[in-house]
Amino acid sequence: MTEFRTVGSAGDHPEGGLRAYEVDGEPVAVARTEAGWFAFHDTCTHNACSLADGDLEDGTVVCVCHGGTYDLRTGEVLAGPPPEPVRTYPVRVEGDEIQVGTEGSP
Amino acid sequence: MAPVGPGAIVVVGAGLAAASAVGELRRREFDGRIVLIGEEPLPPYERPPLSKEYLRGERDLGSVLVRPASWYGEQGVETRFGTRAVALDVRSREVVLADGERVEFDRALVATGARNRRLPIPGLDLDGVLDLRTAPDADRIREAAGRGSRACVVGMGFIGAEVAASLRTMGLDVAALDVFGVPLERALGPEVGRAIDSLHREHGVELHMGSPVAAIEGTGGRARAVTNERGDRVACDFVVVGLGVRPNVEPVEGSGIEVDDGILVDAHLETTAPGVFAAGDVARHRHPLFGPVRVEHYDNAIRMGVAAAAGILGEREPFADPHWFWSDQYEANLQVVGVASEWDRLVIRGSVEERSFVAFSLSAGRLVMAAGVNRGRDVRRAKKLIGREADAEALADEGTDLRELAGV
Repeated sequence: MTEFRTVGSAGDHPEGGLRAYEVDGEPVAVARTEAGWFAFHDTCTHNACSLADGDLEDGTVVCVCHGGTYDLRTGEVLAGPPPEPVRTYPVRVEGDEIQVGTEGSP
Repeated sequence: MAPVGPGAIVVVGAGLAAASAVGELRRREFDGRIVLIGEEPLPPYERPPLSKEYLRGERDLGSVLVRPASWYGEQGVETRFGTRAVALDVRSREVVLADGERVEFDRALVATGARNRRLPIPGLDLDGVLDLRTAPDADRIREAAGRGSRACVVGMGFIGAEVAASLRTMGLDVAALDVFGVPLERALGPEVGRAIDSLHREHGVELHMGSPVAAIEGTGGRARAVTNERGDRVACDFVVVGLGVRPNVEPVEGSGIEVDDGILVDAHLETTAPGVFAAGDVARHRHPLFGPVRVEHYDNAIRMGVAAAAGILGEREPFADPHWFWSDQYEANLQVVGVASEWDRLVIRGSVEERSFVAFSLSAGRLVMAAGVNRGRDVRRAKKLIGREADAEALADEGTDLRELAGV
């Protein structure tokens, strides 16, 4: 069973924006989009750039360094050089608390 | 409605554009015959790591393959790796291989890439003079770096600059020579070039700029030094030459397909022979924004491959990608979008001194290129602005979100 950890305040999280938080010592990027909240490991599998520094585009996150493009829902690589998908995490908002699950996708 | 598919598709060349096209053909559920013919014995692999992580020994060959070697068989793609195509007969619709085999096609894609240019520099044939195009080339440079302690890099374009940075990172002494005043000047102009010049000097590269290389000197058949016409003489244990490439147009020579510094293709990537397409480094493409242009970068190869596959299957969408690429040198990440050989105004956003800036090139009021150092986000956001009328003040203003200028 995944446990949820509160990582930050939804009110402080920019609309349509990305921010990195920490979950049990792991950097996790959280995206707030019109389609909802998404969480994934904050490390691009290509060259370890922070995905929270990237851009959200049409249901994807695009890595700022080399354009690696991941599906926000699944972490799948849709374009660019990353060799592997990025791990995704369950995320929910309870009141003002952004909560991220401790167990991500494999 | 499934489109009426062509018969056999032959892809000549097995680099990134070819691999991308083959992947797209199968993704679009083309289930006919595909034959992929490549001169190199390896399945398609990505070249960007060859001057960086792969050269430095941080990534192995398996990790740079575009797809696992087994993918091609699983997808029913016939491969002829290690086989050169020598001719393309557009009348009989056959590709002729070096071993005499003739492979029939209905549609063909030529994606034979480019090879390194060899300039008439005395001493270029000495042992210890290396260049970089293929994975085995990178292996040879890594081996030379393991034996020697001092490298000369001839040419400070993208390949030379990345190799110089990697060799410095590996702990070698590096000297570099180029006819231009600063690195990357030919591609990006002197302003961005100066930022890259200081980057290399700070990392201890000995730069000999502004004078053409005169000769590579050797003793006992081995390279020992490089000289330039100004009279500088730089001693080294091996030399890496990076002086640009020539497109591999030979398979289409004599076929009637038009060639002019690359295989000429229209906006849809079709050559002057109907049903024969070209993509990647070898293709000189009539770009809707930039005019005829031949681009030698990673992202373009992927996107052109995808677009060529669509064209082969009958789509008529012009290829109008603004062209984007990156270069990593030390901790600096350079990204460029757009294509321009000249411009009449340069607008800087950020700080060149702090190596955090974008240089926007404007021509007749339109944005034609954006080159950024450690500004990947800005450069990517500028993609949508390429070719459009530019508001110079807004571009320079750090407070402007470039996405808003693009109206997204």
